[in-house]
Amino acid sequence: MQIIHLAAEVATQVSQVSGNLGVLGYGLAAIGPGIGVGLVVSKTIESIARQPELAARLQVTMWLGIAFTEALALIGLATPFIFV
Amino acid sequence: MFDDLSSVMKRVLKFGTLLVLVIVVLGSLIGYFVAGVSGVLAAQLGGLGALAFTGLTALSVLVGARLNLAGFLGAVLGGWLLKMLLFLVAFTVLNRAEWLTREARPIVFFTIVTAVIGGLILDTRIVSKARLSADVKLP
Repeated sequence: MQIIHLAAEVATQVSQVSGNLGVLGYGLAAIGPGIGVGLVVSKTIESIARQPELAARLQVTMWLGIAFTEALALIGLATPFIFV
Repeated sequence: MFDDLSSVMKRVLKFGTLLVLVIVVLGSLIGYFVAGVSGVLAAQLGGLGALAFTGLTALSVLVGARLNLAGFLGAVLGGWLLKMLLFLVAFTVLNRAEWLTREARPIVFFTIVTAVIGGLILDTRIVSKARLSADVKLP
């Protein structure tokens, strides 16, 4: 019963929140690619530490991984042009 | 002959710019029929945005290739962070611009999406065709 009351109270509080929802959109557009780029870079560092002679190849592959990941960020940042 | 990191990035920048130019010309034509002059400006804006976003990453790798590993990561990741901030501000300002009519706004979005996806296909092709050597000292 208490949980239902709590949920109702939270719903009331949330309905009173005002502001621009685009801020949430930017957060979502930044967080996913942020995690993705972090993973790509961390794995590249691990790989270069294991095999330094392959650094050039790994750096190019890392750049390709970043390019794919950041495409999501750019599309996410551009969505206000069609949704607003 | 083998390619190095800089030559791959220079090729990416060169062909990427050409691809965006073609997309901007096509987008401007479509934009003109959909939204008039504002549509043409929207296509150019989208092309410029996509070129700046993808080109800056390639440029940061090109600059970072001359540095050591920490410098390389600093250039690439620092550039990425600055770019995200720059685009957040630029798109917020542009979204309030009155010269960009309601009909022209989707042209910006679709030019960006087309240029980015086309650029990714081009990047993958250039990297898969590149002959990168392993820096191994043979006895």
